[in-house]
Amino acid sequence: MEFLGSELNELCMRPSRGRPGRRRHGNNDDNFVSKNLHAERKRRKKLSDRLLALRSLVPIITNMNKATIIEDAITYIQELKKTSDDLSEELLEMEASSEGGKQMEMEADAAAEMEKCGIKEEVKVTYIDGNTLLIKIILQKKRGCFTRLIETMDYLGFEHSETSVTTFKGAMLFSSCVHGKFVDALMVEQTELLLLEMIRTMNGNTC
Amino acid sequence: MKVYEESGCFDPHSITDCQDLMGLPAATNCHNSSEDNLNLSSYNHHHHEDVSATMDMETHQHYLLDNTTTYNTNAHLIPYLTQELSYDQSNWETFNMVHSSSAAAESAAAASGGGGYTPTPDLLSLFHLPRCSFLPNSSISFETAPGSPPVVYDPLFHLNLPPQPAVFRELLQSLPHDYTVPADDKDAAGVGGLYHDGDNGIIEFTRDISRAGRTKNRDKAGKTTKHFATERERRVHLNDKYQALRTMVPSPTKNDRASIVGDAIDYIKELIRTVHELKILVDKKRCGQDRSKRLKVEDAASAADAGDVDCKPLGDPDRCYNTSLRSSWLQRKSKDSEVDVRIIDDEVTIKLVQRKKINCLLFVSRLLDELQLDLHHVAGGNIGDYYSFLFNTKIYEGSSVYASAIANKLIDVVDRQYAAAPPTSNNSL
Repeated sequence: MEFLGSELNELCMRPSRGRPGRRRHGNNDDNFVSKNLHAERKRRKKLSDRLLALRSLVPIITNMNKATIIEDAITYIQELKKTSDDLSEELLEMEASSEGGKQMEMEADAAAEMEKCGIKEEVKVTYIDGNTLLIKIILQKKRGCFTRLIETMDYLGFEHSETSVTTFKGAMLFSSCVHGKFVDALMVEQTELLLLEMIRTMNGNTC
Repeated sequence: MKVYEESGCFDPHSITDCQDLMGLPAATNCHNSSEDNLNLSSYNHHHHEDVSATMDMETHQHYLLDNTTTYNTNAHLIPYLTQELSYDQSNWETFNMVHSSSAAAESAAAASGGGGYTPTPDLLSLFHLPRCSFLPNSSISFETAPGSPPVVYDPLFHLNLPPQPAVFRELLQSLPHDYTVPADDKDAAGVGGLYHDGDNGIIEFTRDISRAGRTKNRDKAGKTTKHFATERERRVHLNDKYQALRTMVPSPTKNDRASIVGDAIDYIKELIRTVHELKILVDKKRCGQDRSKRLKVEDAASAADAGDVDCKPLGDPDRCYNTSLRSSWLQRKSKDSEVDVRIIDDEVTIKLVQRKKINCLLFVSRLLDELQLDLHHVAGGNIGDYYSFLFNTKIYEGSSVYASAIANKLIDVVDRQYAAAPPTSNNSL
């Protein structure tokens, strides 16, 4: 059908040149028709290139026409999905039956490393005008410490606008710009104390 | 003009007469003349300068239909008439174009049978359209008239135009029309006898091709409607398949064929990566389990002996000899969030873009703990309407989490929280 369309187009183009009374009109039409032709050809080419790529991906091909390539792709996707589901189930089973628990050692090391490098735990809160505070915390990296930090901030009603976290040698540097609702200069001290408290409790429970 | 003089019964310069003419054949053919008038008026609108010529043409038609006389000049017209009969009215535009070119050629070339009659290009188009509505009826009158010339299927060929008409004929034949050529069964020889132009080459050409044309049309006449129906079915099936393919892909974008295929390609590549990753994980896991089992066995065994616990059998690593680096990458998009997860070996990089509404950091960090991912680096914040974050994490030893699990859970959590949060634009904490 697409071939038909292109043939009809081309046939339309030719006679218009042969009619002197309509030449001007014909030229404009030529341009539009040929632009359309180009656009249509490009579109068809794009589709057929992609179909070719699809065909190259699928390993099992029955026939080589457009309809079957789509069918084959569908079956292949289903097969792949099934394979991945099976494998992940298997993995889950293996996970359930295996043992874990090597994390304790890592965390004990963290504290030791920090001391070695001379990094100290620290909380610093600075007031930037408006509702904004800049908070900088250095703490021992433990499992879930970041989560606890965020929870505390949330509890205090802070909203993070910029956050950055880096870890180095068992220490974690947390730096964030936060907005709050009722923030003013007085709050700075309180916040600092609160956060320090929180860190110490975290260190207290080593897990 | 010869014919014109003979039909002295009308005034060629009045449109109404012309319409009367049209009406006359209508009477004999039970035809809706108003349609003709409409057509005629549209023609007059386009080709007003050729009105008089139009009348001439119609006079000719009138004569032909009555079948009182046959002229050599009219011989040219007959094929056009019959072509009229077979083609669908909706295609008259294209025929216009083709006929105009052929008519121009004809007027240049046909001096022999012309008899002074030289139709202009517009005339032919004018000539055709009104006759379209005559189709079934006029064919009858044609066949029954005595001495009426047999019908040629395609008039273009007597002009000896090379490839274009062939293509065109094929086009026309494949177009849907229920009309059969009136003179299907006429002998081709009769056709050849029509043209006393003295130019044998043209006659031969016409005869051969007309025969070919007729047989082709005969085969397809009954089948064209069926063909149309099967073609439509085929298209419907194909579109259904495209839609089915679209439903399999997790995050489809646009609904046109090219992007459906594009999405399918990306998804297949992603699935291949995932399967590869999972295979490696399973192998590693199995390896690890075997090793630990063996260790246990050895422990038990070496409880009796002392000292061989640390020595693992060297034959073991062959099975989990896996130099291939585990790597995978996938993206998931939902209405308000985008997740991009890349895993190389045990490092996972997660990018998250989420429409700003809730404090997603909290939920994300909880999820990361759950997934046993050790946060090494976080960067991000509020950008315009969105939260955008980058997490660099490491997988804890012994965990075998894989990319698609991470991505899916993340999107899930984020979307759920997004939906559960109250719809306030400002954060009202």
